[in-house]
Amino acid sequence: MTTEEDSKKGRTVREVAGIAWGLMRGFRLRFVLAIAAMLMATAFRYMVPLVASGTIDFALGSGNGTSRVVDFMERFVVRDWLAGHLWAAGLVMVGLTASAGLFNFFKGKLAAEASDGIARRLKNRLYDHLQRLPMRFHDQAETGDLVQRCTSDVETLRLAISTQVVEVSHALILMGTALPLMFLLDSRMAVASFVLIGPIILFGYFYIKRVRRLFQKFDEAEGKVTAIVQENLTGLRVVRAFRRQDYELEKFSHPNKEYRDLGLRLIRLMAAYWSISDLVALSQNAIVLGLGVHFISQGSLTVGTLFAFIMLLNLVLWPVRQMGRTLTELGKSFVSIGRIQEILEEPEEDRLPVTQAESGRGHIVARDLTFSHGDGQVALQSVSFEARPGETLAILGPSGSGKSTLMHVLLRLYDYQSGSLTYDGVEMKELDRHWCRHQFGTVMQEPFLFSKTIIENIRLGRPSAQEEEVMRVAEMAHIHDTIHRFPARYKTLVGERGVTLSGGQRQRVALARALLREAPVLLLDDALSAVDTETEELIISALKKRHGKMTTLVIAHRLSTLAHADRVIVMDKGRIIQSGTHEELCARGGLYRRLWEIQSRVEGQRTKDEGQRTKVQGLETEVEP
Amino acid sequence: MHVEEDTFHDRLDWGLWRQVFRHALPYKRYVIGLSVAAVILAICDASFALITRWAVDDVSAAVEAGESFSAWPYVGAYLGLAVTLAVGVRSFIIFAGSLSHHMSHDVRRATFTRIQELEMSYFDHRPTGWLISRLTSDCDKLSRIIAWSLLDLVWSSSLIVAISVILLSLNFKLGLIVIGVVPPLLVVSSWFQKRLLLSSRETRKYNSFITASFSEGLQGLKTTKTFVREAANLDEFKGLSDKMYQFSVRNALQSSVFIPIVLTIGSVAAGTVLWVGGGDYLAGMLSLGTLIAFIFYAGQFFEPINQIAAIMVQLQGAQAAGERVLNLLATEPKILDSEEVLRRMRDNGPEVRESPELAPDGHAHFIGEIEFRKVDFAYEDKEPVLTDFNLTVKAGQTIALVGASGGGKSTIVSLLARFYEPSAGGVYINGVEYRQRSLDWYQSNLGIVLQSPHLFAGTVKENILYGRLDATDAEVEQAARLVNAHAFIEKLENGYDTPVGEGGNRLSTGQKQLVSFARAILANPQIFIMDEATSSIDTETEALIQKGLHAILHGRISFVIAHRLSTIRSADRILVIDKGKIIESGSHSELIGHRGHYHALYTRQFRRETEAQVMDRVRG
Repeated sequence: MTTEEDSKKGRTVREVAGIAWGLMRGFRLRFVLAIAAMLMATAFRYMVPLVASGTIDFALGSGNGTSRVVDFMERFVVRDWLAGHLWAAGLVMVGLTASAGLFNFFKGKLAAEASDGIARRLKNRLYDHLQRLPMRFHDQAETGDLVQRCTSDVETLRLAISTQVVEVSHALILMGTALPLMFLLDSRMAVASFVLIGPIILFGYFYIKRVRRLFQKFDEAEGKVTAIVQENLTGLRVVRAFRRQDYELEKFSHPNKEYRDLGLRLIRLMAAYWSISDLVALSQNAIVLGLGVHFISQGSLTVGTLFAFIMLLNLVLWPVRQMGRTLTELGKSFVSIGRIQEILEEPEEDRLPVTQAESGRGHIVARDLTFSHGDGQVALQSVSFEARPGETLAILGPSGSGKSTLMHVLLRLYDYQSGSLTYDGVEMKELDRHWCRHQFGTVMQEPFLFSKTIIENIRLGRPSAQEEEVMRVAEMAHIHDTIHRFPARYKTLVGERGVTLSGGQRQRVALARALLREAPVLLLDDALSAVDTETEELIISALKKRHGKMTTLVIAHRLSTLAHADRVIVMDKGRIIQSGTHEELCARGGLYRRLWEIQSRVEGQRTKDEGQRTKVQGLETEVEP
Repeated sequence: MHVEEDTFHDRLDWGLWRQVFRHALPYKRYVIGLSVAAVILAICDASFALITRWAVDDVSAAVEAGESFSAWPYVGAYLGLAVTLAVGVRSFIIFAGSLSHHMSHDVRRATFTRIQELEMSYFDHRPTGWLISRLTSDCDKLSRIIAWSLLDLVWSSSLIVAISVILLSLNFKLGLIVIGVVPPLLVVSSWFQKRLLLSSRETRKYNSFITASFSEGLQGLKTTKTFVREAANLDEFKGLSDKMYQFSVRNALQSSVFIPIVLTIGSVAAGTVLWVGGGDYLAGMLSLGTLIAFIFYAGQFFEPINQIAAIMVQLQGAQAAGERVLNLLATEPKILDSEEVLRRMRDNGPEVRESPELAPDGHAHFIGEIEFRKVDFAYEDKEPVLTDFNLTVKAGQTIALVGASGGGKSTIVSLLARFYEPSAGGVYINGVEYRQRSLDWYQSNLGIVLQSPHLFAGTVKENILYGRLDATDAEVEQAARLVNAHAFIEKLENGYDTPVGEGGNRLSTGQKQLVSFARAILANPQIFIMDEATSSIDTETEALIQKGLHAILHGRISFVIAHRLSTIRSADRILVIDKGKIIESGSHSELIGHRGHYHALYTRQFRRETEAQVMDRVRG
């Protein structure tokens, strides 16, 4: 899915490198040290073949012809002593390998700390940043895409830093040091050793680049198989209902085959790649060996030097062969950096300094409040109302009339465009968003519960609450008994890995959560729509006891939920079409009164004994258009 | 995606792996091919140092003797070996890759087929995500491990054997010294490989937690914002990213300790060879070429031993995946045609097969009566849901099932559909127990519409065709017209060829409902089962749905789990179900007169629907 097209802005290599450099802040020293450690390790590893070769030529006296290593050793070591104490040469080899290992360890540790540290910091930063971006951003963003940027793209970047950058530097350092060393030993052999290195790198780079497209296709084919399996399993009952098992198998067969066949094609290409690159690398060895023995026969090269060349070449060849692959992988990380940066560049919600006391009184006044989502349609048009501290204000209206939008504006999830909205007499735009949100306990239409335990979910309302307080609000929300029926009670996990709560149960947990908050204002957005009527009535009578203590704004579809409100506003198409007390609205006629009539007449049905059937049926004909 | 980690098995279960390996047997030629390629490769790998030795010894001898010397034979031999090796590499990759992909394809197909056959109760406790992982990652993992570990195992052991033979035959004493490092290498390798596997697994686990945390954070963002939970969320997230850091760094540290230790052990062998072999050379007991070859070989042992250790650890780690896939494949479907029914269908001649009046099992095709007789039912050793349930329904009747959720309504229709079978008693079709009838015939004669209609990600037409695959376009349209779906379908961008999106999510709930009706009516089932949606749909669509529903119900045996008043009222019989029993039964007018449960239920629903209608009228 990570394709170049995804990135909206094209960035130059220079910009990306600048961003990457910025991301490395605080870890740069570790990185430099890691590369230094790698250099040391490489140096020690080089010395191993040199010691072996020197010992062979010098102490064992194989040499006819000259060798620089022998010249060097002659100056420091007595030949006969070494010949008598060959164990010392062996010991030096072990010592050198161990020292190389020690530095390799440092390199590994430093590179891991740096790359994982950068990745950790970046993930934390992205997580926090996403939480602080305005709802406007999230309304347009796709969750799956954001998650991918925050996880896969960060991982691509981490791998690039820990592996590819290190490997490229390693290969460069190896070549940069082996080349002069080889020239120092024997320039003819050095030239011969590098004849095929260039072609190997180029071959790798272009080949992998080509194969990458097939890799992408292969991933897509896998995705198709997964999608079919997923569809089959989620539609399992439909498949059974129509007895379509054979048809499903046929539908599955084709993508399954295609996935396999693409895999086979990929394997064939990879087989060609590895065998050709092996052949070229081995030919490089053959050239060195052939030329080496030829020079030895001419007397212009020692056996030990040839030996050193073969060993050095083996050290250089492997990382060089990987280069093509590494470079293409590194290219991917450029795209990833761009995709991550796009998120980080989005501006966060603005904050203001808090001058108010921690909690206000809950006095809300709206005057000509107007709001639009920016899609050309007005979601709220000149809305005016007042909710005094302790009052209950009910909002009634068909779906899409702007009730939920009003709640969102109150919660400062969106900024209103004109008119005024005050809280305790202060314009809300001049108050800090977080402070404003602290003033409300909210239950949304489809409340979200986190995959934590029930008690943790309720405690979201007030993390410092005692267990008794949690149980008290749970009882008020009529969910306590339900919770007690779960095996782990309040410690029961919610969600996929725990119990799946029904819509009504979720709403009641969310209500408990909002009540626990003890905020000056309670916002209920159709909060009991999935709760059965009897329980709903019990909850409402429990809430009534709190009447006067907190300002309450209730959105409902059902009249029964709002009958006890101090004032009712009726909304449609973003406007308030009726408002007043229950008595006033009943007296005035219109939507509210008609609803009330239906309600009371049906209620009346339950208590009367006679003429049941005819009356109910009579009612039907009355309301049917 | 479902987060799940395999348990690590300390012991290798060879029996299990032998069973998994059985799935590779159809591709014997690949198995043989890759084994041969691996052996050739190992021999080539072992031989390069021999050519070097040969060249060095010969050139030393030639120089000593003052003879002329040509490098070409050695270069030629080296290149020949290189070509052989390249061919070997190419064939082993192709063989192993083919084996892996073919095997994965076959196992996945077998698993998919098995899933289609298993009874519904199998899926009650297995989340979709769990099953998807079995079919995707587990199948791939197993076949990859089988193919590549087989290859590595053959290559590694051949290489170890080849090098050992060469070393011991070149020089027995030095050979023993070099081979002496094998046991410590093996011990160290397996110790580290296991730890590497565990720490990389922990890293992946926390990585999936982090992914889940990101997506949960985004889904619950409004809640986070309204409860001002940003800081607390970030703290929790930091706990996860710290853990991931910890394991990821641990994994890196383990491998940066592991490799140096192994290389140092190798250098002990090389150093000892230089010491002892150098002495022997000086004493004239060893050629220079042999000495050089030995130093090379001392370094070459590490790779194959490391591979063997890694394979053992991987097999231990993948054992759980193997068990799960094999278990799934070994699960026998519980609901299927009995031996007797199968025999009857086999023995029936063309007079039965071609008769329109007879089903393939020899009984009448027409379903005149369905009877539940003394049916008991419980979901897997739980409390019984139904006890002694009795009900008779005649052709053409519509039954409405009403009552509180969890009362057993869905169980009744599941039993009727033979998704489950009664634990006692029986369901009789024209007096014959339905386990005596062909499952395929019976279920092909059912039409089922579910509460939340599921559509597949194709076009509208493809979804309707699901009801009867060989229907013509005209028949599809006719079905759509019958259920009032034609009007809205025509208005879609590409009419019947409009894609409906994943799970049908480009259509509204009401539209999905209508398409699922068209699909059901196209199948022209004898028995129609419906679980009515509770969620509110706008009044206009609701009216269309009701009309469509009546078209379907007409003239067949129908069972409806009903919520809407008009559906309930149009039923021939209403059953109020509570705690697995019929507590009230009769027509609408009879039941209203009772003033019992049905009356209360009806009144409540009546109020809801009327309020919704009035509310909607504000708009009109």
